[in-house]
Amino acid sequence: MLPESAVPLPVFPVPALGPALPEIVLAAGALVLVLVGAIRGERSTALVSAGAIGLMLVALALVFLAPAETQTTFFGAFVSDAFARFFKVLVLIGSIVALMMSHDHFRRLGIDRFEYPILIVLATIGMMVMVSAGDLIALYMGLELQSLAAYVIASIHRDDARSTEAGLKYFVLGALSSGLLLYGASLVYGFTGTVSFEGIQLALGTGGASTGAIFGLVFVAAGVAFKISAVPFHMWTPDVYEGAPTPVTAFFASAPKMAAMALAVRLFMDAFPTIVDEWRQIVIFISLASVILGSFAAIGQTNLKRLMAYSSIGNVGFALVGLAAGTEAGVQGVLIYMAIYLVLTLGGFACILGMRRGGVVLEDISDLAGVYKNHPGLAFCLAAVVLSLAGIPPLAGFFAKLYVFLAAVEAGLAILAVIAVVASVPGAYYYLRIVKVMYFDEPVAPYDPMPAPLGGVMVVSSVFNLIFWLVPAPLFAAALIAAQSLS
Amino acid sequence: MSIALIVFLPLLGALLAPLAIRYGRNACAATAGAASLAAFALLMSHLPGVYAGEVVRQEAAWIPQLGLSFAFFVDGLGFFFATLILGIGLLIIVYARYYLARQDPMGRFYAYLLLFQSAMLGIALSDNALIFLVFWEMTSLSSFLLIGYWRHLPEGRQGARMALAVTGGGGLALIAGMLLLGEAAGTYAISEIIQRGEIIQASPLYVPALLLILVGAFTKSAQFPFHFWLPHAMAAPTPVSAYLHSATMVKAGVFLLARFWPALAGTDIWFLIVTPVGLVTMVIGAFIAIFKHDLKALLAYSTVSNLGMMTMLLGFGTPLGVVIAMFQVLNHATFKAALFMSAGIVDHEAGTRDIRKLGGLIRLMPIASVLALIAAASMAGLPLLNGFLSKEMMLEAAVHTEIAGIPYLVPTLATLGALFSVAYSLRLAWFGYLGPTRESYPHHPHDPPAGMWGPVALLVGLVVAIGLVPPIAGPVLARTSMAVLQTDTLPYYSLAIWHGVTPALFMSITAIVVGATMVALYRSLSTAHAALPHPEAKAMFDRTIAAIVALARGVTGRTQTGSLQLYAGIIVAAIVAVGLVAFLQGGHAPGAREMLPVNTPAIVAWAVLIAVSGVVVFAHVSRLITLVLTSVVGLIVSVAFLQFSAPDLALTQISVEVVTTILLLLALNLLPRRSEPERSAAARWGSGAIAVVAGLGVAYLAYAVMTRDVSSISEYHVALSKPGGGGTNIVNVILVDFRGFDTFGEIIVLGIAALAIFAMLDSALRGASARRLAEMLPSRRSGDAHPMPLVVATRVILPLAITVGVFIFLRGHNQPGGGFIAGLVVAIALIMQYIASGYDWAAARARYNPHAMIGAGVLIAGATGLGSFFFGAPFLTSSYDYFHIPLVGEVELATAIAFDLGVFLTVVGVVLLALFQISRVEHKADRTPVPAGPYEPPYDRQAAPRVVEPARDKEA
Repeated sequence: MLPESAVPLPVFPVPALGPALPEIVLAAGALVLVLVGAIRGERSTALVSAGAIGLMLVALALVFLAPAETQTTFFGAFVSDAFARFFKVLVLIGSIVALMMSHDHFRRLGIDRFEYPILIVLATIGMMVMVSAGDLIALYMGLELQSLAAYVIASIHRDDARSTEAGLKYFVLGALSSGLLLYGASLVYGFTGTVSFEGIQLALGTGGASTGAIFGLVFVAAGVAFKISAVPFHMWTPDVYEGAPTPVTAFFASAPKMAAMALAVRLFMDAFPTIVDEWRQIVIFISLASVILGSFAAIGQTNLKRLMAYSSIGNVGFALVGLAAGTEAGVQGVLIYMAIYLVLTLGGFACILGMRRGGVVLEDISDLAGVYKNHPGLAFCLAAVVLSLAGIPPLAGFFAKLYVFLAAVEAGLAILAVIAVVASVPGAYYYLRIVKVMYFDEPVAPYDPMPAPLGGVMVVSSVFNLIFWLVPAPLFAAALIAAQSLS
Repeated sequence: MSIALIVFLPLLGALLAPLAIRYGRNACAATAGAASLAAFALLMSHLPGVYAGEVVRQEAAWIPQLGLSFAFFVDGLGFFFATLILGIGLLIIVYARYYLARQDPMGRFYAYLLLFQSAMLGIALSDNALIFLVFWEMTSLSSFLLIGYWRHLPEGRQGARMALAVTGGGGLALIAGMLLLGEAAGTYAISEIIQRGEIIQASPLYVPALLLILVGAFTKSAQFPFHFWLPHAMAAPTPVSAYLHSATMVKAGVFLLARFWPALAGTDIWFLIVTPVGLVTMVIGAFIAIFKHDLKALLAYSTVSNLGMMTMLLGFGTPLGVVIAMFQVLNHATFKAALFMSAGIVDHEAGTRDIRKLGGLIRLMPIASVLALIAAASMAGLPLLNGFLSKEMMLEAAVHTEIAGIPYLVPTLATLGALFSVAYSLRLAWFGYLGPTRESYPHHPHDPPAGMWGPVALLVGLVVAIGLVPPIAGPVLARTSMAVLQTDTLPYYSLAIWHGVTPALFMSITAIVVGATMVALYRSLSTAHAALPHPEAKAMFDRTIAAIVALARGVTGRTQTGSLQLYAGIIVAAIVAVGLVAFLQGGHAPGAREMLPVNTPAIVAWAVLIAVSGVVVFAHVSRLITLVLTSVVGLIVSVAFLQFSAPDLALTQISVEVVTTILLLLALNLLPRRSEPERSAAARWGSGAIAVVAGLGVAYLAYAVMTRDVSSISEYHVALSKPGGGGTNIVNVILVDFRGFDTFGEIIVLGIAALAIFAMLDSALRGASARRLAEMLPSRRSGDAHPMPLVVATRVILPLAITVGVFIFLRGHNQPGGGFIAGLVVAIALIMQYIASGYDWAAARARYNPHAMIGAGVLIAGATGLGSFFFGAPFLTSSYDYFHIPLVGEVELATAIAFDLGVFLTVVGVVLLALFQISRVEHKADRTPVPAGPYEPPYDRQAAPRVVEPARDKEA
């Protein structure tokens, strides 16, 4: 018998699960895959890989099928709007392609464990939650789910000292940044009395930001900056990118970057839109620092993976130029930028993964000498990626940059845009070196035959890169809808 | 969309030409030619309109959100440049058909060439600043491909890369400049921008926009100090040099200046930058050209010089300057393209371009030589040729220009430039074509096929025609200049050979006489020149690049050392810095909350805390001491909880502290005793400083937060704890009731964590890691592993401790205590048995499997939660009632207590499982043979009763 209590107990209804259906499907599927792997052992890797890809394709379809309007569930902690769906598509594409490209590589290295695809799926769930977070708790949960899976993935090559070191570094620094973020979140909560983005916006909108809340903002920003590897929280990136097995690096450079950037945008635009001036200073600083360092430090790198790491730092800086604008156009710019960056990155890594001679994995720029002769397709794809990353029209990368710059200029940040453009010049010169090495240097021996998925990724990436300027409208329209759903 | 078609027809040709190569070289060239010709015909269809003063504008939406539309317009200026591009392009296509050797991949050549043509037409005709940029960079790219066309030549590769680096970099600056310009003008339509000169020049963005646009123009048009790339681009096949690097692409910069002339020109800053740059380029380029031996290098520097002249004329900011500049564009395109093609013919036929190995060609290849000589004469500015006209007009304009208040500077330097150009032109003519015939040439020269000299002849025909009958260029010049100036009235100028006796005439005569003298005295001049220092631009460029690379490597090498400490240090330092900025910007009024009175115990406790923390920093090499000291920190924290009236938290903290310390002590046994510092003292002091500042910052924040009244949910819990959850211990009520779901999740996680510890340490028992463990075991030990007093004490305490545990468990709902704390207390008592009496003794007497305890705990908690369904309430709804137990008194029995029991069992199980596994590792490692040492086991462990140990342990 239930006794009569003085105050009625709060009885919570079961929240609507529909908006989170893709995540739920992925989570349930991941558990099934764990069981399959545990029961069938290492032999099941191919099956689990295929299952994971299939699962994520289903999730992708569910994201596409989701209703167009904004839905909120779990008491406001989970938001499914056009913005979230835009980034979920990017995240899923990144994860699927990274997984597709890794199987063959791992099999040759003899480390094709069934845990890897499952960890990727778990990380993907984390990222999707990050993208959909409607409050600080959901944000943190998603972030940690993604990060913890990523720490393990980084050191998946257990017998390789570089891989384990990468994992350790990533973990220690990641934990530090998570701590900063949590600390900041607690300050924000303490000074606004709420964790929901909407509530924070209201609290800051009426009373203005107290110093305490701004401190919270600073710490949260630092945590987020770590995740998107923006300067000065970027230090882990080159080491982890270089140390981790290349397919893992491809994954790190693609999907988690999308999710972290989505997180940054949502956090700043949804929770702190009323104190734009306060956070704009931070964003401008890390954006400029990232662009300059990304461009400058790319010079003199000999390892392609390290080079990609610096490129990712620089590109994040460019995307942040759009965020610094703090306008709808700026957000749209960030979305377009990240989408284009995703395709370029995956294409670039497909090329790097294709570099293997006599079973030996090659990672140096000098290993690309004369690739044009033996592998014109690879050379073309990589050249297009590199020139696109350097922002040379009419390749897709140019439009990515152009849009964020336009948004920044319109928001009165002309000087920021100009410095960012000018700072990208030294890096651009260095990217040309890759093209020169590939096209003009003397070739050595041809690479081993490439697995089919790599070729496919290269083709898709190159076509996108070259054709984008003819049919940019779909991406622009999607980004516009997504940006509008945020405000 | 006929204008867009003009731009895209060559692009189509670029796609088709490589496909046509399979039908032969003629088919390939014909395809390329047809594409250009079609575009040319389309362009000419606009001729009547343009020359009637119409501006045809066509637009198709592309990315309206971006302000991007495929907008093209054709006016006098665009028409003029497009005609040059397509006209000379057609000649080059014909010429290249005969120039390229059989083994050169012709399809690729025409593809690149037409790609370039398309891009260049895009520059000339686009009406959108952003589209303009796209085409601008496309010309850089196609130029890169064409310069590196002969891949086997190293200079081609370097030249290509340098050209792209300079022009591409300038292009990036131009992008920034255009964005600013568009923002200042409020539109990206070029036809609009050029009508808003006043708005733009009044905008604060004018100066930065101008500077960036000028960088773009100067790099493209090889103006000093960016002039060095052009001569190195001469590694390209000669048709490319003739087309891109003299007639069209390098004029893109001039076009840019002309196109935006109404928007940008006319200000002091424009004049003071553009004019000197052009002037200096003109003089330096011409001077260097005199002493170049390679025909193409000579022509390249001469091109640099001529471009400088056009830039200077546009820099004057006067309408007349514009007219002359446009005239010079036309004249230069004709004679210089002809000269480049002639140089190609010489190279092709004589096998060398070195002027020192040539001479007397006029007798061996008369047609080509005569054409080249006429063009050279025009370049020298000799009368009756078109070069003379524009040079004369330029000198006349220079006379009326004074810079920085010095009236003679511009005319003098302009004369000097003209004089040098006479010198290099005559040197080219004399030493290359005239002069004595040589005994031998690398190849025996003779006239090339008509396909090669035909295009040259056409251009030279123009040179002569304009030179003899200047007014035929009149309409073109007038229409083009009007389009540049955006006006219908032009300043007075006269296209005539004879202007009377003017200062310009004297300057021209001086130039010709002195220039000719220089060539006559060339040998001694050349010796003198050789003695001068030669700043080699390429070497400087390479050195600059090398320095930047070294700097970048140095910076990344210093910051990206791979040191985790450094990375963490930078992160913390950065956040401290940003926090400091936030602190300084915000207000920092003291908090309003009333302070608690301070008392002696608190002061002592804080002092101990600070002292202990300080000692840890210095004593951390010894792990044991560090552990002991950190546990002191934990204890003081629990005292602090007590101070702030949170006894339940304090109790929890103490028990957690004890358990973790014990487990860590056990684990410590497996680790080296000392952790030696790995970094230098300076680095550690640096880290220390960062840590101190960060610590102060956090302390300040804590202080600031605690001195403020913040609304929290505490009141809610305080108010509802008793009525809602039936308990007065708020922490416990929160744990088992309010947030029971969380707790349920947590105990599951805790159980999984224990299983994970179990599984992971299990692998430590096998193989290499077990052997390493064995070697790491400390060799020195106390003689008595199980001291009797400790054994006795723990055995006596055990029942007492369990009683205490039960007591704490039962009262937990209302007084400090609860399942979690009780579990820890009991677990501590059990651990003590293991420590005091040894693993084997204790394990043999353990009745309950920790795995089972964890499982049971989770199940009980879950079942409690499910139980509420039977009462129609949601999962984990609790209820409570009061019972009277004799002796004990009134006891409250809530369903939550069953839940708490689950928590209790799980906690005990988890702690025991972790302990069990750590002990097993040590136990196992202990038994592995250790190198002989002073230590002897007190008894034969092999004979000791065996405990549950999986068989696989024996593998080690």
